[in-house]
Parts: sequence; C-alpha cells; structure tokens
Amino acid sequence: MGLSRRDLLKLGGLSLASMASSSYKLRVFEPVVKVDNPILYYPNRDWETMYRDIFKSEDTFVFLCAPNDTHNCLLRAHVKNGVVTRIEPTFKFHEATDIYGLKASPRWEPRCCNKGLSLMRRFYGDRRVKGPMVRKGFYEWYKAGFPRDPKTGEPPKKYFQRGKDKFIKVTWDEVADIIAKTMINIAETYSGEEGRKRLEAQGYYEKEMIDAMEGAGTRTFKFRGSMPFLAVVRYTSPYRMANLVALLDHHIRGVPPEKAKGGRGWDNYSFHTDLAPGHPMVTGQQNVEFDLCLWEYSKLIILWGMNPFTTKMPDCHWLTEARIKGSKVIVISNDYSPTARSADELIVVRTGTDTALALSIAYVIMKEGLYQEKYVKAWTDMPLLVRMDNGKILRAKDIIPNYKPKPLKKAEVFKKGDRLPPFYKQEKQYIPEDIREKDMNDFVVWDTKTNSPKVITRDDVGDDFWKLGIDPALTGEFTVKTVDGKKVKVKPLFQVYLEFFEENYNPKMAEKITGVPAEKIEKLAREIAKHPRNMKLAQGMGVNQYFHGDLKDRAMYLIVALTDNVGHLTGNIGSYAGNFRLALFNGVGQYFLEDPFNIELDPNKPAKVKRYWKGESAHYYSHDDKPQKMGDHMITGKTHMPTPTKFCWFVDANSILGNAKWKYNIVMNTLPKIECIITNEWWWSLTCEYSDIVLGVDAWNENKYWDIAGSVTNPFIYVWPKTGHRRLYDTKNDAEVFALVGKRLAELTGDKRFADYWKFVLEGRQEVYVQRVINASSNLRGYKLEDIGKKAQEGIPSLIMTRTYPKYVGMDQLVDNHPWYTKSGRLEFYREEPEFIDAGENLPVYREPIDATDYEPNVIVAKPHPLLRPKRPEDYGVDPDEALKNTELRQARNVLVTPVKLPKTKHPLRVSFGATHIVHTPKYRHAAHTTTGDTDITTLLFGPFGDVYRHDKRKPFVSEAYIDINPKDLEKMGIEDGDYVWVDPDPQDRPFEGWQKRKEDYEVARLLLRARASNNTPPGVAKIWFNMYGSSHGSVLGTKVNKNGLAKNPYTGYQSLYRRGSHQSVTRSWHKPTLQTDTLVRKNLAGQVIGKGFAPDVHCLIGAPREAYAKILKAEPGGINGKGVWRPVRLGLRPHKPSVAFANYLKGQWVRFY
Amino acid sequence: MAKAYNWQIKREVNYPYEHKRPKKQFAVVMDLNKCIACQTCTVACKTTWTPGRGQEYQLWNNVETKPNGFYPLGWDVKLMELLGNDQVWEGETYKGKTVLDGTEEEPVLGWMPDDLDWTNPNIGEDEVNAPVDVGTVLEKLPHPIWMFYLPRICNHCTFPACVAACPRQAIYKRQEDGIVLIDPERCEGYQECVKACPYKKTMFNFVARISQKCIGCFPRVEQGLQPQCVITCIGKIRLMGFINPPEKAVRSNPIDFLVHIKKVALPLYPQTGLEPNVYYIPPINVPLYFLKQMFGPGAERAVKTYMAMREGKEPELQALLHLFGSTDRIVHSFAVGKNEVIGFNEEGEEIVRVPLYEPFQIRPHKDERLGVVRQDIP
Repeated sequence: MGLSRRDLLKLGGLSLASMASSSYKLRVFEPVVKVDNPILYYPNRDWETMYRDIFKSEDTFVFLCAPNDTHNCLLRAHVKNGVVTRIEPTFKFHEATDIYGLKASPRWEPRCCNKGLSLMRRFYGDRRVKGPMVRKGFYEWYKAGFPRDPKTGEPPKKYFQRGKDKFIKVTWDEVADIIAKTMINIAETYSGEEGRKRLEAQGYYEKEMIDAMEGAGTRTFKFRGSMPFLAVVRYTSPYRMANLVALLDHHIRGVPPEKAKGGRGWDNYSFHTDLAPGHPMVTGQQNVEFDLCLWEYSKLIILWGMNPFTTKMPDCHWLTEARIKGSKVIVISNDYSPTARSADELIVVRTGTDTALALSIAYVIMKEGLYQEKYVKAWTDMPLLVRMDNGKILRAKDIIPNYKPKPLKKAEVFKKGDRLPPFYKQEKQYIPEDIREKDMNDFVVWDTKTNSPKVITRDDVGDDFWKLGIDPALTGEFTVKTVDGKKVKVKPLFQVYLEFFEENYNPKMAEKITGVPAEKIEKLAREIAKHPRNMKLAQGMGVNQYFHGDLKDRAMYLIVALTDNVGHLTGNIGSYAGNFRLALFNGVGQYFLEDPFNIELDPNKPAKVKRYWKGESAHYYSHDDKPQKMGDHMITGKTHMPTPTKFCWFVDANSILGNAKWKYNIVMNTLPKIECIITNEWWWSLTCEYSDIVLGVDAWNENKYWDIAGSVTNPFIYVWPKTGHRRLYDTKNDAEVFALVGKRLAELTGDKRFADYWKFVLEGRQEVYVQRVINASSNLRGYKLEDIGKKAQEGIPSLIMTRTYPKYVGMDQLVDNHPWYTKSGRLEFYREEPEFIDAGENLPVYREPIDATDYEPNVIVAKPHPLLRPKRPEDYGVDPDEALKNTELRQARNVLVTPVKLPKTKHPLRVSFGATHIVHTPKYRHAAHTTTGDTDITTLLFGPFGDVYRHDKRKPFVSEAYIDINPKDLEKMGIEDGDYVWVDPDPQDRPFEGWQKRKEDYEVARLLLRARASNNTPPGVAKIWFNMYGSSHGSVLGTKVNKNGLAKNPYTGYQSLYRRGSHQSVTRSWHKPTLQTDTLVRKNLAGQVIGKGFAPDVHCLIGAPREAYAKILKAEPGGINGKGVWRPVRLGLRPHKPSVAFANYLKGQWVRFY
Repeated sequence: MAKAYNWQIKREVNYPYEHKRPKKQFAVVMDLNKCIACQTCTVACKTTWTPGRGQEYQLWNNVETKPNGFYPLGWDVKLMELLGNDQVWEGETYKGKTVLDGTEEEPVLGWMPDDLDWTNPNIGEDEVNAPVDVGTVLEKLPHPIWMFYLPRICNHCTFPACVAACPRQAIYKRQEDGIVLIDPERCEGYQECVKACPYKKTMFNFVARISQKCIGCFPRVEQGLQPQCVITCIGKIRLMGFINPPEKAVRSNPIDFLVHIKKVALPLYPQTGLEPNVYYIPPINVPLYFLKQMFGPGAERAVKTYMAMREGKEPELQALLHLFGSTDRIVHSFAVGKNEVIGFNEEGEEIVRVPLYEPFQIRPHKDERLGVVRQDIP
C-alpha cells in the first residue's frame, strides 16, 4: 500500500484499523530536514492541507432536529461521499421574518446542541429500524388467522411473548395487510353485545370502561403521535387514522355515519407529566407562558423547580445576558441544580413542599399589605364573596329572586347545534348556554362605597371593572339574605385566604414544612413585592411533576397575582415543561379531524371537519388500564372515562412505553391484555422492544416532505426541509405508512374512502394537508408553505404570527380587557366544584407528596377550617390505615394533619420497609426527553462514569446510569462513591405488581446502578437522571451472553444504559382526583370555545410524580470489574476523601499573594 | 536557553528557542458566567476533528466542572504539585516556579498521565465543593457553596511547552496566526509533548502512533471564520479573535478590550509561564481564593468590574458581551451604539449588528387582509 500517513489520517475511521497491524512500519527515519526554530519558521507546511481537506464538504443540506425539547433547530449537515460527516448550526435564524416584515435579531444565533450535532451517530447507527419488522409470534398469530378463545376472545398466550421474541422483516405490502386485517379482526371481536360479553368474560375491565365504548370495537383502538406540535402531518397521522376508523365501525356494525365511532387518541403533553395542571384551574386555559427570550425584560427572575441549564439549553443565554444587564436570578430547587451556579440566590427547599413556600410568600405579601390592590380587585377572585355555609361562591341568583344573568359583551353564548365560526375567525369567547346558566352565573362583591353587595359579571374585569364605580371589599365578613330567606355569612376570598394562611402557612409554620428559614421567606416575599410588573416566575418540571402540581400552580399564581405579574411583557408567569400549545396551529383539525364520510379531494379547498375520535388520557393505560376508584366510588369522571385498550399505534413514542412511569408494570401486567402494538420509529427504542410491529420510518436527515413544527418557548415556525438526502433503508414517511394501511383497508372492505382519505399522501403531495392547516390557523394564515419551506431549506425559520414578537400570554387580558377563560373571567384560586370540596382542596392548601416524603404521605397540611370538608376514607367505606399503606387508595385519602404535627408523622415504608430516600428523576443535558441518550459520543459525557474503552466489563455501555446520594448518607449506609447499588421502592406495586412470583421478570425490572457521592443533593434526597435507556428482557440477556458484557439485545441490537432495571423502576402512574373532574370550566385545547371536564392536554391526569420513596442497598464494589473501590476515590481525587494535594487545591492554598 | 518576556506574569521566562511573537495571535475569550456545560463545543470538535480510530478518548475541546471535574483525571491538582509550594505572586508579578524551569536536556517540567486518567472525561459533572442541605440559602455572591464549568481547548500558548519539549521539532507555531500545530508527518509519537503540556491538551493517537491536538480550526480561521467550538457555543460564552501584547493593545479590538483594557478576561494558570491565549472571565459565584489560584491575582479586579457592569457602570463591556456568539465570522473591531453593539471584519466592514434587547414588535389583533383574528391564547 502506497499510503502516506497523511492519507491514512485523512481516511480516519475504518482504514486506521488496518494500521494497527504489524505491516505498519512507518516509524524508522530520522528527520531529513532540520528545523532550527519552530517558533520562527517551519519549513514544510504542505501537510496542513490534510485538515483543510477534512474540513471541506462536497455538499450540505439543512434538516430539522425536532425531539420533544421545545427548541427545534434547523441544522446544516455536511456531506462527503454521500455521508453526513458533521453537523453545524445554520447561523441563519437572524434572517427569519414574517409577512409583516417583522424580524429576528442575531441574538438568536447559534441554535443547536450536543445531541443535534452528534445525530450522524444515529443516522448511521446500528439501531436504525431498517424497514417493517414484525414480531415472530405475532406474525404466526396473523398467519393462523387470529385464533382466539371462544369465550373471552383472548388470543393464545403462545403468540404473545413480547420482549423475548425475535423480529422478522416483511415487505410494506405485507405489513399493510397484517395491520389492516388485525384492525378488522380486533374491531369485530369487541363490537356489539358479543364484544361486550367477551370483555366481561375477561373479568378485568370496569363496567364504566366497557360502557364508554358505546358498543364500538373501534373504541378499543388507541392512537398516539408523540407531540403533534412537532409535525402536523407526520405526527398527527395516527389521530387522522383514529378519525378514519369510524368508517371501519360503520362497516363492521352497520351503523350510519352519525353513529359511527372513531378510535381514541391519547394525550401528549399531559401524558408526559408536563402539563402544569393548575394553570387551567386558575386561568381557565392550558397555560400561561412567554418566549424565554423575554427573560431580559424583567429585573427579577425566579426559576422555581426549573433547570434551564439542562433542559432549555439554546435559550439559556437569554438568562445569562439578562444577568449581564443587571437582572437578579433566584433559583428555588430541592438541590443545587446546574442552573444554580448562574443564580444570584439559591434556596433549597424540602422536596415537594414548594406549595407551602409559595403560600407563605403570598401570606407575607397579603399580611404586610404589599400587594397591588387595583390588580387584585380587577383581575382576581379575591373580592368575590364565598358562602361560609356551603363553600360555594355567592351568586347573584342566590340573593336576587328570579335573577337572569346579564347579557355578555365579551362572549357569545351559544346553544347546542349552533354553528360557530372557524377558530381563526373567532373574535370572542364562546360559551355554551348551560355553562353560562349553571356555572358562570353572575358573581357578587361587597361594595365598600355603598356598603352593600353588588353583582358583577365575567365581563367586568380589568379597566372595565372600575367603570362600575364600585370598590369591592377584600377583607371583612358580611351577611346576605338569600332568596330562600336565610341569612348567610359571606366573606371576600381575600379574607378567607388571609385567615387560612395565617393559621397554617405563616413563615414559622412554613419553615417547619419546607425547611426554608422563616426570615428568608419574609425577605423573599418583600423582594418579590418590590417588583410589581417586573418579575418573571418560570416554573419547571421539578415542580410541575409533583403529585399536587395543581396546588403548586394555584399557590404560585397567588404570588404573581398579588404583585401584578401576570400577562405583562416585563412581568409574567410561565410553566416550562414539554412543548404544549398545539393551539398555535389551531387549524390542525383540517388534517386530523377531516370527515372520513365526506372527504375533500380538491387540493385547493378546505377539508370538512367532523370529529369521530375521542380524546383519552393514556395515564389509564399506564395505570394498568384502570380508572380510579375509592372503595366502590368511581373517582374518575365520566368525561375522562377510558375504554379497554386492545390495539395501539404509536408514532415516535418512546415516552408511551419505554420511558413511561411504571414501565415495568406496563410491560409485565398491562401489555398482555393488549392484542396489537404498532410503533413507528427510526431508532430502535425500548418501546420497539415490546411492540408487535415496528415500522421503520425516515430519519430526520431523510425527510421527503414539508411539514411544520412549532415551539412554545421561541417565536418561530419551522418547516421540515426536504433534505434530498437518500434513504439509507427501506423506510417511509409516517403519513405514508398510515396511507398504505388505508389503501389496504379499501381493498379489504371495498370502500375506496379508506384510500381516498390519504389521497394526497398516496400521491406524494402531503403538503396539501399542511397548507390546509396553515390556512386555518390564526397565527399561520397568509403563509405559503412553499415560500417558508424554501427558506427552511436554506436554514431560515419563519416567525409565527402571534399578536406579538416575541410572544407571550396575557396581552389579550391586560391590554384589551378580555376575561380569562374561567367562570368569573378572573384568576381563580378558590375551587367550588364538588370534586375539589371532596378532596379538601377548594381552598389553596398544601398537601404532602404522595410517596416521596419522610412524613405521612398525601395528608392535607392544615388545621380544621369551616370551608375544608374533605371526604375521609371512612366516607368511602375504606379503612383509613389501609388507605395510608395502600398506594392505590392513598391517592384519594383526604386527611388533615396540622403543620406542627406533620414532622412527627412517618411514612409507612420508613417503619415497615426501611426506606430512607426520596428518589427523583429529573431531565438532563445529555439527551432530549425520551429521545434517550445512547449514542457513544453523547453518552461518554453523560455523568462521571464514561469510559469509551469499557475497562470495566460490567458497564452496560460506554457510560452508565448512576444515582446521586449525599456523601454523609453513603457513609451511614456503608456505600462507597462509585459502588453499584440496588434501589427498591414500595414493594407492593414496584417495580411491578406481582414481582414476588416472577423471578425472571424481576431480574429485568429491579434497579441496579452506580452510586455517586454528590454534595449537590441534601441528605435523604437521591437523584437519577431521566434520560437513559432502561433494561429490556433482551438487554439483560445481552449482559449474560455477550462476550463483551454489553447490555445489548443480541437479537434486536437494543442498547440499555442500565445493567438491570431503570429509573422508571421506582416510579408509577399516580392518579389525582382533582385532575379527573367533570365540572372544571376551561377553554378547549384550541379555539375560543369554553367547555367543561376532560380536555386532553388541558384538564386530565398527569401521572405525577416522577419520584418515589425508596431503600438503597450496596450491590457491588466500584473498582474495575468489582475489585476494590472506584479508581478516582482510591487516588484521592473525590471531594469527600481528598488527598492532601487535592484538599489544598479545593481551598486554593497552593498559591500565595503578597 | 533563551529568555522571553511574559506579560501575564510580568517577568521573563526561559525558553529553549529564541522567541518572537507571531504577526497575529489567535485568542479566545470565554465568559464562565455564561457556560452551561452543554458540551455542544465538545461534540462539535469531536465530530469535526477526532472521530477516528485511536482518537475515541480524545476531546481536544472538553468542558469540566470545577472544582471536582478533570480531563484527564487530576490534571491541575498534579500541576499544582509540580509547581509546588512556592507559587508566589508579588502584586502582579509571579515569582514562583514555572513549567519552563527545567534543564537544558529536559526544558519543560511535566508528567505523563496514566492511560486510565483519560477515562471518566466528565467526572465531577455539576458537583459543588461542599454539601447542601434542606434549607440551604445562598444569597450573597460569591457563594460559599459553588461550582463552575471550565471549557478548555489548546491555549495556543505564546511560549508553548509542547514546542519546547518536542525532540523532533515536529511542533510549530504559525507566524500568521499564532496557532500551534503538530506536524503528523514529522511526529514520531515520543509523547514528550503529552508529558510537557501542563494543560494536557496534546494527546496520543495510539493507532496512528502520533500525538495530536487542537488545531485552532485553522481551516476556518484562514477564511475569516471563528472555530467550531465558538460558533456552536449556545451559551454564547466565546469570542475568538486576535490578541495584541498589552503595549500594543487596541481599544476597538474586542479581545484587547476585554483582556488589556477592562482586564476582565484572564489566562488559565498563568503561573505555567507559557502565556496561554484562552482568556476566561471568572465566574462571580466562586470565592476569590479559588479564582486567584486558577487565574492569578487579576481575578479580584475582573470580578469587581463584572459586578459593576451588572449595575450598569460598564456600558461598553455590557454591550460587547452581547456580541459573543452572534456571528460566525471573526470580529476584528467593535463599536457600541445606542442599545446595540456592532462588529467589523478586518477590512472594517460591518458584519453584525446586535441589539441589547430583542426588539419587541406587535401585529394587528384583527387583520382583514389575511382574514384572521389573533389571540394570545389561540
């Protein structure tokens, strides 16, 4: 071989392998040319061309990186020999404009991150899904003609060895046939009376669930696209299919179109536990937020349970640049988070008690009169009068005989069946007549000018409120005479809150609950009060993902409401977890709600929209396909009621299974009840491991069609560029996959509408659907997809045309005096609905965490109060002690404990099981959401245990999972920094129910990982990062049969970063009663229509928390291959056992100054 | 052994070669108050330059958490041991030992990392110096409990130890930009440079059997573009440019302004004597005892200036920090306008104009032309 060393280096990668052989004999010569002084002159620099050549690319293209991280970066891939060699930011965000000529600035550059720039390791990785794959057993079931038990309808178990089976590659035509026939078979099996009987015979499902099917087998179909906001065609296609199966129901049951039922569509944002569930309670709509670039417009920034340094990485510079300009940053967290290092202040709070801290801050502001009185009176429920007799908000009709609600100017009241304008033309709020009559009927304040009660409507907010000429009382107690002649005591809610907080959450009490010193609470409250209209409170998933996340919102909103910090450019609140607000593309119904019985085939006309599918919270599926009951009482509201799950089709969805809470319970107990699981993926995830059919779809670099993505944290709309880059494997676009199945259904049923429904996809023109969505969206209308698509291909996003650039929520209210979407049009802190009264949460209260606490879990921490009337376990016919121990019953156990008594109580597991630690599982920088970290380059840097050469063969991959534990705790437990430990949560239900009798499965599910001594976490609190792939049956098998010890499935190639179990071994899906009401009034997800009860991603379960209470036991020593302690400890380079040199270093003692 | 003047420690150092400063000197300023340890720089560098065999462990750019992170393990603790107990500063003059205080035969004091020291490249990630507890409140800067992130590339030193140590004269400093390179054709893999570099930024490729290091992205710099690690820095902490010696400092040169005029950006362990050319704006959350050990006596003034800037007393500095990361081109000079900062190329042409606040703009609530009504809450 005549290769010079330069050539060899240029080739890089593979060719260098051959150099390691003995034929490599280049190192023999002394230099021929003498170099006198390499600082002044170097003779032969021709070799430098080598690096210039490496850097040159033959071609480049732009693609969209869109994991669920809210950012969406257009990235430029550099290509050599047809292969992507490196990825860079496009540096063209500053060219983004809209049709009004508004423009972004270079402040946005650069947009990228560590995951995006290493994507070629995935594009060319060994875990690409290379085409349609079918699990062998499932294939045999299909081939055998779907045999079933004649009585129960259940398929024989032998076909369903998920996780242990092999996959076979089939053709796209065959897989379309398999799926279409499976759909028909399952829908037939469970339709009608016979279907009901079969489900009853299975002996598992609650009657209410079967009722909720309304006789349609298609209602057992569950569809989910991960975050539709990221691709309105690609990722919402499953919902379109959910609408289409109404046509299948029409065929199978022979019902007319108006009675046909579509499938069920699962939620996204709320399934991800990201929804801040109290935002809809306070504001009547999904969330309040602001683009993160607006941080710099405020002088005080509070990051509460938010860790943007690891979760909002490309937007962190707005925070640090705000600091450069003098903004003060306060971080409130349960540990020293990465973001804390750029904070001016850090407050470490006891895990889960943030609500008590917030209530105490609100109390100080109220007590010391530091609140913004005008705002409080005009925009909040605090002047409204509440009846002390029944806990309901006083209504005009209570005191005025035959009261008729006043006409509303700011909303349209409509009757059932009235036609409403499309969302993008809706100028007002739309309120159903019955909600106006029953729920929104007018309210009463006590006017101090006339010393009498005065009626106000939900129109009377903001400036318009003051036009009434009244001045409402915030304090005092009054008596009104009701229409039935009773004298009833009433109080303004402000007075009620003040008294209640005084009793329970004054700073001294709050110190007992939260651990934060009372004087600090006072100081903080006063500082906040000094920043009216000039503070941003950003909530993160740290607090959102508490069981009582709703109470946390109600408490934090109190702070911002008292200080007039809601809805201003310079002062606002925002919740930041996940990418919600699909409503920014509120024309999306054009695609996923097109009427399958009346399909629009003219590409230039809008679709006719009719909803046949129904939303459902996937937290019932992840709760073993069960609703929530307390004794015999059904807690789950009718509007939330799930149906039995028999058929699932997921798109881009590791969150739904692989990285779901209580994952091992889903795998071991729930999946066996489901008959078909289909997953569209391009990277073999843990969800794929347990699917029946895995459909290989195009990777992001292979995208063929324009589609659009949005973001809730930045003001851009992104078109997925057509990359022109070749498909590496036998893959398709997600929409194409659905279209193929539609086509096959048309052939099997003889009804061509199944195919017509996907007409433009089948013709390779799916952009027609995207343009329809754009035309029907208030913030996109006017854009031509082609124009913004071409820009995207150059790396330039476009601006989303919301009311403002950058966007924020609240201008409609504060500038235009539009009411909020609540009953009263105001920010509501009191909840009068029966579900809230039963839960003891009608007042803003603090409750202990459901599991992760040293104290008695889930108790309402408050003294008895006349308005607190929780339903106790006895009221449900449940034993109170049993309700405490049993995790299922504990969820609706409403028991009061006073703040003083609380520290004397004990978590039952502390006594019975020896549990010692709260274990929480927040998100990290080395992976995005459930697009989990597992490529070599990114994983190597994920935490302290990276070793690309895997000297320790126990290591599942080039790095591995670990749990951060306070060094003092480790010492007590006899565990050394770097050791392997077992982490065991509540044995009654985790890692899965019934593990005691399933040894082989338990081996997969029980959590084993490294321990790290971390000063960042307080004693008693341990942390595992969320973003690592967990063990599957196959990866555990791999650790035994792979010679190199890799936790890699020998059959599928799936790679785990845990040897055993995962962080989800400690979690479970938790159900909170107040998130399942039929009575909460809130705006629908999109449009201006107000409704009641369940709304996906708005009012529904969130499954929180993502933490548990657990026991930690030493498993193995941390030294290489289990010999001795971990090397850095041995060398004295760990902080809790430093060598003398390191100790001096830590104290800065090596250097002296004179 | 020749003598050369090192302005960072205000004294002469020994150097085996007669020394002349290059025509231009590559330099990077990194504001450690802004680093978020996202490792995008690390990945950008890795995927661009070191994806090959024998380079798997190599991170020419790395980010480590201080005080508990190292790459390689314990590198600067070992450096402290090497320089010993007489690391003494008198005012701004360093009186102690430098790594250039070796012998004729072995001009550089060094140490060879163990192979295993290169494992665990992100050890100490995020770890603070002392334990927190429930109720911990940090409210005054600097914080008693602290950590910070230290991104590191080759310092392209004015007096490079690697050049001094190489027995084959295979390492050289480019006169046109001061970038230090290892000639892969001449290198024989003796690894003297690996041993000599106190920052441990030369690494051995055990497949190619040569030493390799950060090349300052010279193929980009030659085209007037900033390096990969700079243009991918989403924390916007980095600015690459060219530094002049203090006596020739130009106020409108952003690097000179930060290093020489405002003195907020400081070299890493200046006591090595090598005059390293990556300059760090020290983190204000960290106590001075640690910052001074790492960045020398100038740390105190740098922190004070940064704090004053936050109070609005350093408007030029405040504006300039918004230029970081806002262009991928090399900025040779800058000017500050009203609420904006402007960057110019070598020819003095404007290349970027950056507002200090992202402009706030309003669209019509109701637009008849587009037939649309907008809400904040659609």
